[in-house]
Amino acid sequence: MEEVDKIIVHTLKGIGCDVEDVQSLVQFSTELIIEATVRCLKMIDPQTDLPMTLPPAMAARFRLGTSLASAITELGYKGELGYQTFLYSNEADIRRVLMFLIEKLPRGSEESTEEILGGSAVLYRSIASELSKRLSSPWTPPQCKNKGVVWRGSPPTWHREGCSSVRAFRSAHLSSPHGLGDLTKKIPKDVKTYYTKHMPYILTQPVHRDDLAASILENNATYLTAQHEWDQEWNQLGLASRLTKEEYLAKKRDRLQKRIKDNIKESVKLKENAQKTPQDLNDIINSISERSGLQGKTKGSRFTHAEKLQFTQDVPGSQMTVDPTANTEEELKAKREEEIEKLQEQLERIATDFENLDIEIRKFTASSQQMEEIIATEATKNKEKETVYKVKKRTLDLLPDADNNIAKLQSVVDTSAQRLVSLANQWEKHRVPLVEKYREMKALNENRESEAEKKLEEIKAFREKMKDVAADARTKEDIYKQLVTEYERMTKDVNRSAYTRRIMEIVSNIKKQKQEIDKILIDTKSIQKDINQLSGKLDRTFTVTDELIFRDAKKDEAVRKAYKYLAALHENCDILIKTVEETGFVMREIRDLEDQIDIETNKKVLDNLDKITADYKQMKKENAHLLAKLKGK
Amino acid sequence: MEFSAEALEGLHLSGDSAHIPDQSYINLCKRVCEGVLHKNGVKRLEGDKQLSSLDQGVVKQTYAALATLVLEAAKHDADSNTISAVLEDCKYNTERIKAFNNTYLPQKPYLQLILGNTGTNPPHIVDVDWRLDYYIKNNHLEKVNEAVYLISLKTEECGFEGTKSIDFACTVEQLQDMVGKLKDACKSLERSSQM
Repeated sequence: MEEVDKIIVHTLKGIGCDVEDVQSLVQFSTELIIEATVRCLKMIDPQTDLPMTLPPAMAARFRLGTSLASAITELGYKGELGYQTFLYSNEADIRRVLMFLIEKLPRGSEESTEEILGGSAVLYRSIASELSKRLSSPWTPPQCKNKGVVWRGSPPTWHREGCSSVRAFRSAHLSSPHGLGDLTKKIPKDVKTYYTKHMPYILTQPVHRDDLAASILENNATYLTAQHEWDQEWNQLGLASRLTKEEYLAKKRDRLQKRIKDNIKESVKLKENAQKTPQDLNDIINSISERSGLQGKTKGSRFTHAEKLQFTQDVPGSQMTVDPTANTEEELKAKREEEIEKLQEQLERIATDFENLDIEIRKFTASSQQMEEIIATEATKNKEKETVYKVKKRTLDLLPDADNNIAKLQSVVDTSAQRLVSLANQWEKHRVPLVEKYREMKALNENRESEAEKKLEEIKAFREKMKDVAADARTKEDIYKQLVTEYERMTKDVNRSAYTRRIMEIVSNIKKQKQEIDKILIDTKSIQKDINQLSGKLDRTFTVTDELIFRDAKKDEAVRKAYKYLAALHENCDILIKTVEETGFVMREIRDLEDQIDIETNKKVLDNLDKITADYKQMKKENAHLLAKLKGK
Repeated sequence: MEFSAEALEGLHLSGDSAHIPDQSYINLCKRVCEGVLHKNGVKRLEGDKQLSSLDQGVVKQTYAALATLVLEAAKHDADSNTISAVLEDCKYNTERIKAFNNTYLPQKPYLQLILGNTGTNPPHIVDVDWRLDYYIKNNHLEKVNEAVYLISLKTEECGFEGTKSIDFACTVEQLQDMVGKLKDACKSLERSSQM
């Protein structure tokens, strides 16, 4: 019973009862019993409305006792229950009631649901705990915080109560040296000097210092995604193409470069087409000149010319100012203006001449190119004609001696035909083994290809397996982590392990007891057997002796006496055995009665009787008091 | 927690005592945390005599890698076990792992604060000033006699030092309505904190 008591006391402590120095239920006072029962009832049904402490008035106490009893029977308690169970308690009844209540406590169901929820539950719980922590912490004025961040506790944890320090995510590209660890790869010397002397630390690379963290994370993420993408591409396309990594990369680079080249060519062509229409060209030039603020001077070349000319013209102009013949400034000005006009005209003339000449030059170069082309085509035509002429000349030469020449030609044709045939034969001879070889090679190649394909498939399968296994490992790791956190949370509540330990102990105790009971049973059985055997033996010997003596008894007087004695002996022995059995019965009854007495004494009947009489007296007193009051009125 | 090939190479390099001796390694770890956290981290890094005697290219590469490790670890809220697993893969010995954890773990909340500074927030109410005025009359009415609350909510905005204020006036009923709504919000917060 001690174990059960310990468990009950522990659970009661858990729900907030003041049972620090109590070890067993015997020590429970009436107040404590009432408090424990009410607390349990409140845990089971939060709407229970019962006082935790005993009221002073006797009548109220009885009412509380009966309401407690009815509440517990409503929950499904099967045993006998009344106000006396609580007010005049005995250990066994209270134990039974408390055990029933503790079983009904709602704790178990919550735990089981939590275990099912898993990862999201852990997250929710941490959010909830963080929220409750923040709710319980006091408000601090913004002047007392460092950029809206509050630090509390030790080790310090922070939380944000404002957002003045928050910045948007902005990242910059970072570069750092790489390949220094790998000694097999040579790094060019100038790159190395750049790394050691001129490259800035990554700390100083972003423009704004606060962007550092974002930049570093972004950098890592971009490299990672590039790597993943490359892996995927290599798995899907690269392996199927059956090239090495470098070859595949080179091919891809070529393809991309070609595409870029094509695109550029196309756009250049489009632009050229657009430039050929003079309207557009003028528009463009106008827009450019407008932008640069040089209106009126439509052509850059002309502008530079004009500038040059003006500059050269300026020098004599400055010399002229020294000229003593120029008297007044006005004259000088007029003169100068005249001169400028003249020069302007001259300049314009020269410019137009120049332009005309330019156009002519272009025309001439174009015509000369055309001419060259014509010359080239004519030269090829000439060559063709020369060859035709040579053939015709040969045939004309051969014509006069036609028959002879025909015969000669015939022989030449025949020999060449023969040679052709022999060559064909020879070729056949060579060809057959070559063709065979070719076929063999082809078959071999096909075999190899199919093997390679198989291997490719295998590689793909392996890669997929690898991925699966990696994913599996990751999920398992996650689960492991989750379980670890859960375990850490669980270990806090020690009573679980204590419970299991106790249960195991109890189970082993029960096992031992069962074994002992079995032993005793076996003993009793063997004893019973012995008794049966002995009584059987006795019966048999008695009948045998009875018969023997009875036969002789007819003849001899002494034997008859002996027979009588024997009968008497047998009867007496029977009586003796019966008495022994009866004593056994009586002993057992005595033991039962003693047990009952023990139980009754355990029930504190005397104490309770005292209490009841005291309560009865108090009730009487209260009643008398009330009566007196009534009469007084 | 994953790292790019570059960062892993840098980590391998920093775990190699041939490139970075033990004492310099401890200094390097300290400088990395300082560099990410404090503004004068660069000066301290450049003034570190232990590190300036080494090959600067190696220092730069390992510095970048360790900074990545520190920030990624803070991002994933990694504990010492996870970090040890990563560093063991990079062939660190146990002493170096321990040294790294000793420098990194105390700085973790500060690093997470730095990471938490990244983002956008709506304006955040941090304080409130109020005043109760009694409005007696105006040019149209001889008698008004109403209580008027002047409320000024102080807000903080992203990337802006100090507070801005949102001012408005309201009657008692409107104020009660607002307070009721705020109480509702508090209650729902409490409810979600008791899950």
